[in-house]
Amino acid sequence: MDPTRQWIDQALLVVGIAAYVTSAFALFGYFLLRNPLLRNVGLPLAIVGCLSQFAELGARWWMTGVWPLTNLYGSLSLFSACAVTIFLIFAYRYDLAFAGGPVLALAAIALGYATTWNEGYMPAVPALQSYWIKIHVPIVITAYASFMVAFCVSLIYLVKAAAESRYARGTVRAAAAAAGAAQPTVAMLAYAASPALGTTRTDTPALTSAAAAGDATALWLTGLPSLARLDVMQYRIIAVGLPLLSLGIITGAMWAKEAWGAYWQWDPKETAALFSWIVYAAYMHLHTRPEWRGSRGALLGAFGFASIVFCYLGVNIFISGLHSYKM
Amino acid sequence: MEAGRSGRIAFRALAGVRDAWDELIGLFANIPFGVSLLAIWAFLTMIGVIIEQGKDAAFYASVYPPPIARLIARLDIANIYHSPAYIGVLGLILCSMTAATFTKVIPRRIPRLNPVKIEAIPLHATVRVAGDAAGVGERVAAFFAARGWQVRKREFGGTEWTFADKNNWARRGVLVAHIGFVLIATGTTIYWAKGYSGQFAVLSGETATIPESGARIALERFAYRIDPVRTKAGVVYQPIDYVSNAKVTGRDGTTRDAVIRVNQPYDVDGTLVYQATYGFAINFTLRKDGRPVAGPDHPLKEGEGFAVGGTSRAIQYQRFVGTIDRATGQPGADPRPNDPGVVIQAFDGDRPAGAALIPLGRPIDLGAGYTLEAARYVLYSGFQYRYDPGIPVVGLGAFVLLAGLCISFYFLPARLFVLVRDAGAGTSEVGIAATTVRGYEVFEDRFREIVDELRRSEPAGDATEVQSAPVLGSV
Repeated sequence: MDPTRQWIDQALLVVGIAAYVTSAFALFGYFLLRNPLLRNVGLPLAIVGCLSQFAELGARWWMTGVWPLTNLYGSLSLFSACAVTIFLIFAYRYDLAFAGGPVLALAAIALGYATTWNEGYMPAVPALQSYWIKIHVPIVITAYASFMVAFCVSLIYLVKAAAESRYARGTVRAAAAAAGAAQPTVAMLAYAASPALGTTRTDTPALTSAAAAGDATALWLTGLPSLARLDVMQYRIIAVGLPLLSLGIITGAMWAKEAWGAYWQWDPKETAALFSWIVYAAYMHLHTRPEWRGSRGALLGAFGFASIVFCYLGVNIFISGLHSYKM
Repeated sequence: MEAGRSGRIAFRALAGVRDAWDELIGLFANIPFGVSLLAIWAFLTMIGVIIEQGKDAAFYASVYPPPIARLIARLDIANIYHSPAYIGVLGLILCSMTAATFTKVIPRRIPRLNPVKIEAIPLHATVRVAGDAAGVGERVAAFFAARGWQVRKREFGGTEWTFADKNNWARRGVLVAHIGFVLIATGTTIYWAKGYSGQFAVLSGETATIPESGARIALERFAYRIDPVRTKAGVVYQPIDYVSNAKVTGRDGTTRDAVIRVNQPYDVDGTLVYQATYGFAINFTLRKDGRPVAGPDHPLKEGEGFAVGGTSRAIQYQRFVGTIDRATGQPGADPRPNDPGVVIQAFDGDRPAGAALIPLGRPIDLGAGYTLEAARYVLYSGFQYRYDPGIPVVGLGAFVLLAGLCISFYFLPARLFVLVRDAGAGTSEVGIAATTVRGYEVFEDRFREIVDELRRSEPAGDATEVQSAPVLGSV
């Protein structure tokens, strides 16, 4: 292998990781401090990291002639690049920059972890020598990446929902004390525990009044999008991921039919992907019901991403099967 | 009198059955019930991911603690994807989807045009504009029609309502997705009913027949390519290619040359033949006191064995070793046959009596005057075959399912209820409320844009006031 080309490959990888790490810090700073300067630093860095990653994958292809998705290093690299791309699209379209910290941090971790599986430049095994690798793998990885971005939004949702319900409980206790009641009334408790808490477009009265009273945390929380908006964002991102996952499973089945003779082999990877698909299909069905939007939906979304991590890494690394392409 | 009483009893019984039926359909059409079935499906699927499938009881006994191994055997978990529970849950999901489709999706496809209390709908706004109600009503209708909304007017109690619908056709998305599922299930059923599959191995120079179709496959030559690749962890022997050169004779009796590779199956009369595995069959020579005696009459494949005549012993050929490390006498890393050998396992009755790695061409003493020699190897190719007439239906189902998902997720059916009222002083009040099939929050930004656009579209000076910005329900 030409050392110059190898150097280019390594340099692009280093630039990618460095850009992601710096961008993650900047966007976490933006999340905490709401300083637009940090956003204006973080987003371009995310673009730089993303471009250098795609360039690195392209360079690998150029150097070896092998589509660089035949092992865990290649697929994890594409995963982090796709996650950042999806985040950038949503940041532009739906003002999602506040979620950039966790997205970029996870992308950097994924890329860093990918390097531990980088065994160099290897030819593809016969099962992977197919045009399907250029169709199936990018689709599935993009689906995983969108679920990762949705997961970050659901985390922010859960943080904000927990804080809002804490403020609501505080308001209830204060109201009970003012009324001279030893215990909050049923109506007050209902207010605090109202499922509508997760579906209001604006912040809850308790949070708004705490912010108006100068509570620093409440002020910070009101700077985040409302819970309803976060819920809609999570829904929109999952609505990108689920059709892609469906398409990924379908193209995988078509490839399996060509390579192994059956479109469905009940291989652990296939069934784990089916599990994730069921979780997200359940999310979509439940999201049609108002009581399942909000915190429950965010928790289900987070569970869905946990199932994706298991499907992607757990099955590849710990369970042997037809998809055990680690190196 | 008697006939009338029995008629009433029959009617009541029928009404009871009908009530029970309606209740059952109601239950199956219920979304939480359907999602509960999805959860059970997911749980059973995950069991199959975690617990290795298709192994025998001895395997589970060796891997899991005895209570779990017993549970796996009793609950048919070793073959969970074909268990009655799994198939039953899939059947229930199909029933649930069907019930939901016919009771919820289709009847609600196009809701009736009915007036609403605008302020009671969380997503609403009021715009005051110049002009009389009739003129403003026409302008508003034209505004929505110009933006691709399907505008219809209806009069209720002397009041004219304008209804504007967008993406009404997309209300069929769920129906389309459910039809996709049914098609996939149908295609799979067609395979179960009419398809077949199997596998076979052919030694180079020999012929195998697919029993279901009668097609013959004569393997002329099997070749593989395995390259040593230097990685950070050391040298790895990476398979690059497996290829079978064969002559295939189909139903018409014509013999054709076939090159069968991984990812490149060969089609013979609609049955696809796949390159699946390969191996090294071994010709064993058994001798007693230096003279050949009856041993295996054909080259043995991995896992096959033979009895040592006149003794209680049996020999099993376990695996082929491409390269024996000369320094250690142990199997080397290179799988290619440079200095090959075979691992054999000896049995005395049912008891294992020991294993040995023997180089090819070198006899090994089995005791009692017997010697065994792995004389030479013959490459064989392992094929899978499958005839699946359900594939086009499954493919169509997959396409329809995807189309349904995309329609459901990316085209939001929304309805605007518009009521124009005279507000006096030459002005009118335009009340607009919006509903969608997925709640209000998801449409809020768009609704705000529509209201702003409507306000701006009125001639300058006409749009006097926005009375109320979009409001959502609050706690």
